[in-house]
Amino acid sequence: MPREGPKQHERTRSLRCAWNALPLRCAQPRVEKFSRVEAFVNDVRRTSTEEDLKEALAAVTADLGFRYFALTHHVDVRASGNAIRLHNYPDGWAEWFDEQGLGAHDPVHRASNLTSVGFAWSSLEQMLVLTRRDRQVLDAARKEGIGDGFTVPAHVPGEAHGSCSFARASGETLGPDHLAPLQLVGALAFEAARRMKRERFSSAPVRLTDRQRDCVMLAARGKSDWEIARILGVSEATVGEHLRHAYERYGVGKRTLVAVHALFDGTIGFFDVLSP
Amino acid sequence: MAIIIEQGLAAPGSDSTLRGMFEDRKSVFVDLLKWDLPVLDGRVELDSFDDEHATYVIIAGQGGEHLGSARLLPTTRPHILGNLFPSLCAQKPPTGRNIVEITRFCLSRRQSSAERLHIRNQLVSALAWHALEAGIRTYTGVAEIAWLQQILAFGWNCRPLGLPARFDCGVLGALAIEIASDTPRLLAKNGIWELRSEPLVRIAEAA
Repeated sequence: MPREGPKQHERTRSLRCAWNALPLRCAQPRVEKFSRVEAFVNDVRRTSTEEDLKEALAAVTADLGFRYFALTHHVDVRASGNAIRLHNYPDGWAEWFDEQGLGAHDPVHRASNLTSVGFAWSSLEQMLVLTRRDRQVLDAARKEGIGDGFTVPAHVPGEAHGSCSFARASGETLGPDHLAPLQLVGALAFEAARRMKRERFSSAPVRLTDRQRDCVMLAARGKSDWEIARILGVSEATVGEHLRHAYERYGVGKRTLVAVHALFDGTIGFFDVLSP
Repeated sequence: MAIIIEQGLAAPGSDSTLRGMFEDRKSVFVDLLKWDLPVLDGRVELDSFDDEHATYVIIAGQGGEHLGSARLLPTTRPHILGNLFPSLCAQKPPTGRNIVEITRFCLSRRQSSAERLHIRNQLVSALAWHALEAGIRTYTGVAEIAWLQQILAFGWNCRPLGLPARFDCGVLGALAIEIASDTPRLLAKNGIWELRSEPLVRIAEAA
């Protein structure tokens, strides 16, 4: 999004630095690494269960020199039951992570919502203002043996944000030639998981009517029912009715929450809300 | 809304839909994405590939206004992947009579996000429809990596042609999309297939 404030520049610079080191020519290792990605494309085409996908992902992760992978929707605020989550992190780590309720606060997830290109965890510092709790999370991960990592954001409009992360064993660092194959594997794996999830849960995403969407968008801009009524040329009662229906569809009871849900799943865009 | 398939020399001045398309391309690729592209009269984005060999798939509104479009280039002639980014392919860029490159996939910035998704769906559907009509088996394309997840999520049969790499305009990757009779079904399973009207095919007279 164009309105990110002064941090935007820093982020862009740090991401560019990470990718700058990429060779542009097809050197031999690039060709070999791409063959491994192509094999993964064929693997996931044949997989129909999450178990198979997990196995294929574990194999390609190891072949590309990494120890851990974690493919996840950052949170599914509507129905946590159909959020995607596949990983091979140490058991203790996943439990601790869940106990802390970190799904939405994990600094890696937060950073991933800010960019569409994969990023190294070493550049988190430039992407976010890290809080004390963020540093605790990163320290705890290191203590669990999770080393340097790379996260591929997965943004599909109209759906919850997600990502696919890869981490090396602690003590091993990330090299520039790791980025390109991981970027592809992350994107392909996320899509494969998404396809499986869709086949398993036929639940349609929340859909608002055009009028409900207009009301929610104006509410997100901070307009009152009266103001929305004036803008849309309808009665205040009608606006209230549209918003109530939107609350029901999301299963929430507050104006701010319905706006957050609609922004989160892409029913309305940040640009619609922030542009004058 | 109308779907227009425009073949032959599409001069920006020839009608308001085409003029709108070239203006929206400037707004999207030059103003928004900051690609280094030639701009004519400070208003339209038009390059050397916009010639009589290009085909345009266009979604237009009630009054003919441009809402979204893509440019198709034959791979048997100079095209973006083959001539500008061959290093994005692990092997030689695919070329052939049944292989066509999608370029300048453009959605008008005048629409809201929700409307843009509808227009995007119609454009993707029209591209699949056109491929099946015209006997195109494979679409290729160069995509900014942010786009890749979306292109995969359309649900059609899509594979990378090589590892992505960084260029001045961003991290780019090369893709191939196989089009077959089941493509509309695959798109429909993802809620993408939206073909509300039979596309209108216009073939320009050679000047």
